[in-house]
Amino acid sequence: MSRIIRIAVFALLLLLPATAFAAQARYQLQIDGLACPFCAYGIEKQLSRTEGLATFDIDIDAGTVTVTMAEGASLTEAQADRIVNDAGFTLRDFTTLPAQD
Amino acid sequence: MRKFILSAAIGLAATVMAGKPIAAHGPLFSPAPETIFKGGTEVTLGFHTERATGAGARETQDEPSLEVEYGLTADWEIGIEIPYAWKEDGDDAADGIGDITLGTKYQFWRRDLPGAQYKAAALLKVTLPTGDDGGAPRLGSGSTNVIAGLATGYESRRWYWFASGVYRVNGEGSGSLGKGDKQFLNLVGGIRPVLTGYKEPDTVLMLELNWEHAGRDDLAGTALANTGGWELFLSPVVWWTYRQIAVRGGVQIPIASGLNGNQPATDYRARFQVIYHY
Repeated sequence: MSRIIRIAVFALLLLLPATAFAAQARYQLQIDGLACPFCAYGIEKQLSRTEGLATFDIDIDAGTVTVTMAEGASLTEAQADRIVNDAGFTLRDFTTLPAQD
Repeated sequence: MRKFILSAAIGLAATVMAGKPIAAHGPLFSPAPETIFKGGTEVTLGFHTERATGAGARETQDEPSLEVEYGLTADWEIGIEIPYAWKEDGDDAADGIGDITLGTKYQFWRRDLPGAQYKAAALLKVTLPTGDDGGAPRLGSGSTNVIAGLATGYESRRWYWFASGVYRVNGEGSGSLGKGDKQFLNLVGGIRPVLTGYKEPDTVLMLELNWEHAGRDDLAGTALANTGGWELFLSPVVWWTYRQIAVRGGVQIPIASGLNGNQPATDYRARFQVIYHY
């Protein structure tokens, strides 16, 4: 009986969508030149055009943007550098954060 | 919530005190080195009013305008400004489209620091003779004019400063009337009294010192005596922003002048703008 239960549980796990357990990549961008909310909108605009981006959070006081990607998507440092430069700022540091489940 | 209310209160109070039904992001009466982000569009609805009296004359001008800028790159933008003017000169009055301006600005230097930026840009504009210059008062210059300038500045979380110089070359208008060329020098200081976060309203207070000089006008090569000279203005400005919307207003108060001969002097100028970028 216990063997049947183990097999049933294993089969159930195989039937669940694989993406239910996929992690969302997260990154922190340290940005120089970020002084005011009105001009920081340029970063929001560039990020909104980025394929695979799920959410982002801009912290002007810290000079950081935390980016969470959609499941299966990722962001390279070169992409982040282009996004920040097109917004009118400079990328000083690019850090990969622990993925979000 | 408290920061929201305080910032909004400062912005609204200062706008009202600026004295008038009141881009992006920098001085109001002088150019800034700022350019819009790549692929961005900035739309500005503006209103300018001014009055000059003296020499037995009283001249007023009210001018709403539409201005649109587009960012070709993060450092290079192009734009167009379309004014509509209402003018009165004594008993004469006229209104209509003024001189349309085409412009471009290139930010050739930028130094980014944590929470601060230094910038410098060159600008070039051309005003076209689209305003009626045949009536009284004239709504347009009747000539194609070229404006070139340099602007530099510093922007941080708390403090701002800007400096700029502009030269306007006026072409010859109808009836062989040539307006004197104009030069402008500007110094600006600003402060953000309350530091706010990204999705919070933001207020910045500025004070501009604007100097302008005009050469004498000439008619068929003969200089006109009661034209040209210089004026110096002290100009308080406030801008208030929330996300991608900005509202700013200010007034130019003349504090010194050296005008040639007998001519009307500026009593005041005021400007109010609503800016949206997307």
